[in-house]
Amino acid sequence: MEEYPEELRTPPVALVSLVGCPEHHQAISGYLHSQQPPINVLALPDFSKVPVVLSKKVKDSGSGDPPSGILKRDWLLKHRTKVPALMAALFSSLDISGDPTQWLQVCSDLENLKAAIRPRNVKLVLVVVLQSTSADDINEDRMIALKKRAEVDSKYLLMYTPNDVSELKLSLNRLGNAFSELASVHYREEGRRIRTKVEKRGYNFPELHMRYCFKVAIYAEFRRDWNEALKFYEEAYRILREIVGTSTRLPPIQRLVEIKSVAEQLQFKISTLLLHGGKVMEAVQWFCQYNVAYKRLVGAPQVPYLHWEWMSRQFLVFAELLETSSATMQSISSLVVGGTDRTLTEWEFRPAYYYQLAANYLKKKQSSLEISLSMTDNSSEADSSIDSVVPSIYVGQFARSLGQGDELFMHPLTDEQYVQYTLAERKRFQDSYEIIALLKKAYESYSSLKAQRMSSTCGLKIAKEYFSLDDYANTKQLCDGIITLYRQEGWVALIWEVLGYLKECSRKLGAVKSFIEYSLEMAALPVHPDTNITFLGFVESGPTGPPSLQQREHIQKEVMELIGKDSGDGLSVEKSTDLRLSEKNPLNLEIDFVSPLRTVLLASVAFHEQMIKPGVSTLITLSLLSQLPLSIEIDQIDLQFNQSHCNFSITNKEKYASTTMFSSVEQSQRMEIASSLILTTNRWLRLTYEIKSEQSGKLECVLIIVKLGPHFSIICRAESPASMADLPLWKFEDRAETFPTKDPALALTGQKGTQIEEPEPLVDLALGATGPALVGESFMVPVTVMAKGHDVYSGELKINLVDVRGGGLFSPRETEASFLDGHHVELLSIAGAEWEDKSQGSDSNINRIQQSFGLISVPTVKNGETWSCELEIKWHRPKPIMLFVSLGYFSQESDPTSQKINIHKSLQIEGKIAVMINHRIMLPFRQDPLLLSMVKPPEADQLVSLPLGESNVLIVSARNCTEVPIRVESLSIETDSSSPSTSCCIKPGSGPGSPGFTLLVAEEEFKKIFTVKAEVDSTPLSLGIVCLRWRRDPGSHDPSTRTIVTTKHKLPDVNVEVPPLIVSLVCPPYAVLGDPFTYFVKIQNQTPLLQELKVSLSDSQSFLMSGTHSGTVFVLPKSEHIMSYKVIPLSSGTQQLPKYSFTSTRYSAGFQPSVAASTIFVFPSEPRFKGVNDRGKNLESVATI
Amino acid sequence: MIVCVAIVGHQVGNLANNPLYIQSFTDGDDALKLHHVVHCSLDVVDERVNNPKKSGPMLNETYLGLLYPTENYKVYGYLTNTKVKFISVTTDLDVKDADVRNFFRKFHAAYVDAVSNPFHVPGKKITSKTFAERISTIVKAFGLSSAG
Repeated sequence: MEEYPEELRTPPVALVSLVGCPEHHQAISGYLHSQQPPINVLALPDFSKVPVVLSKKVKDSGSGDPPSGILKRDWLLKHRTKVPALMAALFSSLDISGDPTQWLQVCSDLENLKAAIRPRNVKLVLVVVLQSTSADDINEDRMIALKKRAEVDSKYLLMYTPNDVSELKLSLNRLGNAFSELASVHYREEGRRIRTKVEKRGYNFPELHMRYCFKVAIYAEFRRDWNEALKFYEEAYRILREIVGTSTRLPPIQRLVEIKSVAEQLQFKISTLLLHGGKVMEAVQWFCQYNVAYKRLVGAPQVPYLHWEWMSRQFLVFAELLETSSATMQSISSLVVGGTDRTLTEWEFRPAYYYQLAANYLKKKQSSLEISLSMTDNSSEADSSIDSVVPSIYVGQFARSLGQGDELFMHPLTDEQYVQYTLAERKRFQDSYEIIALLKKAYESYSSLKAQRMSSTCGLKIAKEYFSLDDYANTKQLCDGIITLYRQEGWVALIWEVLGYLKECSRKLGAVKSFIEYSLEMAALPVHPDTNITFLGFVESGPTGPPSLQQREHIQKEVMELIGKDSGDGLSVEKSTDLRLSEKNPLNLEIDFVSPLRTVLLASVAFHEQMIKPGVSTLITLSLLSQLPLSIEIDQIDLQFNQSHCNFSITNKEKYASTTMFSSVEQSQRMEIASSLILTTNRWLRLTYEIKSEQSGKLECVLIIVKLGPHFSIICRAESPASMADLPLWKFEDRAETFPTKDPALALTGQKGTQIEEPEPLVDLALGATGPALVGESFMVPVTVMAKGHDVYSGELKINLVDVRGGGLFSPRETEASFLDGHHVELLSIAGAEWEDKSQGSDSNINRIQQSFGLISVPTVKNGETWSCELEIKWHRPKPIMLFVSLGYFSQESDPTSQKINIHKSLQIEGKIAVMINHRIMLPFRQDPLLLSMVKPPEADQLVSLPLGESNVLIVSARNCTEVPIRVESLSIETDSSSPSTSCCIKPGSGPGSPGFTLLVAEEEFKKIFTVKAEVDSTPLSLGIVCLRWRRDPGSHDPSTRTIVTTKHKLPDVNVEVPPLIVSLVCPPYAVLGDPFTYFVKIQNQTPLLQELKVSLSDSQSFLMSGTHSGTVFVLPKSEHIMSYKVIPLSSGTQQLPKYSFTSTRYSAGFQPSVAASTIFVFPSEPRFKGVNDRGKNLESVATI
Repeated sequence: MIVCVAIVGHQVGNLANNPLYIQSFTDGDDALKLHHVVHCSLDVVDERVNNPKKSGPMLNETYLGLLYPTENYKVYGYLTNTKVKFISVTTDLDVKDADVRNFFRKFHAAYVDAVSNPFHVPGKKITSKTFAERISTIVKAFGLSSAG
């Protein structure tokens, strides 16, 4: 687009001319430039220049001669820079109003001006420059005279006031409006003038018709009448199509060149107008038609390059136009979708498409130019005659300018001369860079559109251009980028082509490694012998020729020769290049899991067993596969494992003699000899060997190093058959697929690694705990290490306590577990039995005990010896735990390579609560104080009430909850340290307090009775803490081995009250049938008030009774009232005494003795006890319970 | 005249848009160029598939229409329900859409028959000679119909 002249590329701008008063020209032209639309200014300093500018050649139109060209080259430029639409004559007001000489001068200037502008129909504007601010000093008559003389409308006689800022602005504005109006009038008139010529067919030749149409369109453009411009451009284009076949004016080659040049301008104008009008669809369609129409007009066979060059330029220009307008364009997809017919595709809206085609045509031009140049070798002698060839005055025409003195004559060219001229002209340019630039644009554009295949194709074309320019580094870089996509998508033919370039570039650049890599990859490409036929037609198939089996074999031979595997048989690549492999410059080719070279060599390694014992040998199968067309003989294969002592090599039998001469380092390695190591196409080479390792852990084959020739080796990553990916490219081929191992099962499951088990520990670890642990006691777990076959060196014992239920050994509820750091179970200490003293010195470094974890060192234990220790664990809560003990040791002393042997043991231990302590408080038998707090309905957290000063009975019982027999050492109540000691008196009851211990078996209960007497009326009263001291029953062992555990149980607080009334029932301990006895009811008033009580007594069938049944009694303050009844038992056995009940009117509290209290046993006759003493004792005990 | 036909596999995982069958019918030297043309047309197929037309009749349409014109060729595409792409490259300037559609229908039928062969492994190239013969018959028939 840049090669077009400025006037063609930009829309026309109206031109006005200023003459006179040159000092104001700059201000006016500056203003007009900034207008929208702008107006160009041709400033003429004085009136004498006007006729020079506006001079018009006398045309001899109307004569019978055909015009010698279609469009004049400089016509447009003339109208843009030389011929103004209007002439603005600036006169100073001083001159107008001045003396007659000045006025005469003005008049003559005006006359001359009028004469000059008339033939060109240029409009005239008069501008009077006011020199002073006041308008009064202008002579009105002179002004009128001036207007008449100039024959202008009064509105085109303007005042210009440069001295006042506001006035200046106004006058500039006036000038601008008048100028644009008049310019538009001028261009319309000019356009109409030529249009009438067209309409009246005022022409004899189609060339003129076309020219007129073009001019009308240009004038329309001056007026910004785009529609009319488009119409006439299209008309001109149509006429041009007609000319193509008819015109005979010029020699044929030049004629076509002229027509195409004109067509090019027209198409440029039309496309620009369409695109700027936002009609992208129309523009693209228009260009398509244009392309179809002119594509075939190749022209004479001598100059096809001219056509291709022209075609390329068309596409380039359209691409650039499309690109510049694409910013304002709506989205492409909506355009495509919106299109009603599917004749246009997505790419046709993209500049990239046109850039690409421009490059293609330029490439065509390049090749056809080469052919033409080669055909005309004798062009040198004609050089002198074409030196003077220049573009002639018509668009698309060339002529020889023959200088004679100052004058230049244009002499027409013959076609032969023209061809020579074009050839000489084209020879000077390097089209390749132009092609690369075009392709790069397309490449970038496609890349940004994510059309990676399109961009790859462009990239490949760029690479080819670079290759043709011998720029191998750039070619290689581009090809490396492109080939990834082709490899990924498996387009073998395309890969072949790109690889061919890469290979040649590497060869040219002297890069041996990449040359071999690319060559081998090419040789291993899946090009089948039977697909040969398809590719017969390859000509542009890169430097390596079309893909075929023969080519693959040839390439492989080339490489084999290079690496010294094959003695040269005439191919001898390396002789032509500087590619060498030598001792100093060996080559290692690496192939990993994603390398494209996996087709060249695929190494799979399978262990036959997935787990082996240390020192036991297993089988390992190495399988190699190659897709190279010719079989290769391998010199040596090295297998490398992660355990380096397992590495071994496999050598070809024939080569063995030579390889033994290698360095002595390799001698220490295992060396296997195979009878033949020949790798044939698509057939697995399977090699199976034994392997063993002493070292436990993972044994994995890492690398397979295949040595070919003296300085070349391929380093392959070992792959597991089970997880092997398909071969790239070959996976799409219909080929016979075999398993890498003979055993198909192994091929599916085989792994390149195996697990070597740890050596068996020959040491026993015993945890000797029995039964559950009891909360509170220090539970001892003996741990015994018995060496049975191994010595134990630097042993370590790890102890872990783990909650069986999970959740850790401490409670998350910190309130509950605030003591002892929250651990419910803790490891207190580890008591090593023997060797403890010895180990002090050596292993003091490791002896750590935490609450749930312990680590201690175990001294050396010789074979057959035993070492033991005890773990002391304490439970604070009943919780089952899992005890893990592991011993790690070395079986040999001071051998760093030997492995640590581990042995693990675990034991679940229940933690249980040993004893459950209960208590009960009772009032004295048959004595019932009226406790007022009991009268009210009980509340939720009401404390037990005790009467003040009365002896109460407290029974404490301890029950063994476990199946472990325990010994109760003592049971006592200790006063709470926080409460005053004198508040109550607790004495052990007079029960059978055994001096030693009491053995409690499972579920057995131990009871002890205390008397509680509250002495102070304090509420609440703390009773104290029950302390039970017990130990696990040692059985036959020494009891001192079992520690004494104290279990504490806090008694609840009680309420102390002064009872207002106490009712006691007094009756003998037993009765005899028919034997009367008296039974008293004693009411004690402890208050200083008179108490009134209602008494009632109900009869009992078992007794005959005398006394009042009901009544009211009054008890004096601080005194007693006794009621007595005489009763005779009527039946024997346990009988209910007649029941009495009281109601205290003061407290409105009723009272009724309990059933137990009013029960008596009636003997049928006087019982006979063994002795009086015994009897009394027994009775007493009955009563106290 | 059809100068090249191709079947391109669908893209699943690492199985890319690999050619399953590609055959050119020119005596000329542009077999490799046709490979490039077919390969590039996959970009258009991708674009069409990713920006489907909203309008109803195109919803279940397998025929993709003209993919793009090059200097000398026009490339047409067809996409099966299993996302296998059929590409055909013609040299004709004016081809009736119905003719191409009809051609692709026959092409598809031939493909279905070829892959129904129990010895054919899905995802591999089609090497059947019968298939190749059938395709060349279809291509010839297209040339006759479009010429006539």
